[in-house]
Amino acid sequence: MRKLDEISRLSASDLERISLDEKIPVPEELSGRVQNALHGLSASEEAGAGSVRPGSAGNRFIRRVLPAVGIAAALAVVAAIGLTRDPEPADTFDDPYLAYAQVEAVFAKISGTVAYGAGKIEDTESRIDKISYWK
Amino acid sequence: MKKFYILALMLLVSVSALAQNGRSLYNKYSDLPDVEAVYISPAMFRLIGKIPDVEMQDGSVNFGPIIKSLSGLYILNIPESDAAAQLADEVNHFVTKGHYELLMEAKDNGEVMRMYTVGDDKVVNSLVMLSRDGSETSFICLDGTMPREQLEAIIAEATKD
Repeated sequence: MRKLDEISRLSASDLERISLDEKIPVPEELSGRVQNALHGLSASEEAGAGSVRPGSAGNRFIRRVLPAVGIAAALAVVAAIGLTRDPEPADTFDDPYLAYAQVEAVFAKISGTVAYGAGKIEDTESRIDKISYWK
Repeated sequence: MKKFYILALMLLVSVSALAQNGRSLYNKYSDLPDVEAVYISPAMFRLIGKIPDVEMQDGSVNFGPIIKSLSGLYILNIPESDAAAQLADEVNHFVTKGHYELLMEAKDNGEVMRMYTVGDDKVVNSLVMLSRDGSETSFICLDGTMPREQLEAIIAEATKD
């Protein structure tokens, strides 16, 4: 059997002649191994050819980076919500009865405002009635 | 992924819309000098709700159901100043942005009172009252899920006197 360095020194015509020499036995599995190697080579060439298409490298980069950007955006949203959420102030009252008195005062104030508005409407209505009467 | 970005954008928009409310105004102004500030928390409202026979002084109106529906009360009283004017501006801004409805407005001798609510036909989620009388600006904000019918009944009953 020839060594690799001897084979590398052979010319193309020598290699062709030797390959056509049917006296030299060919291992049974060689054909399959060569085919497999050729398939692998073509597959890698196709992948390599794909990578040189314009913009495809950028696309692959974006595809790789996009999930990270998504996660970062989600974290930014969560952080924004956290930052904009106001802290709960401290209760002014410890005693629920005092707190209740305050709530009552608030409703009284609201009612007073509504009553004031209602009073104004009644005043206006009575003035309109008086004007209508004297007409 | 496009959907995610749209969702994130919507979240950011809603966050910015939520940026101003009764609590944020309270936190901003309550520590200023000469400001009277009162805050009642949801926990305190739950405690108030446990007080037996919660009624007004004349006993004609039952506050119980509405108090249990409240989740926050914010009161700010500020003597007339730049801060008071700024508070009034911010309240006007936040009721506009928050789609509050003007319930009533009363003006008399330079005094202005406005009341706003937001919610639907059945529930009032927030009631805001802003009054300015030339010497003081008062801001009241009641948050919760107040049944509109009960709230109106309380106000109507109290105005009878």
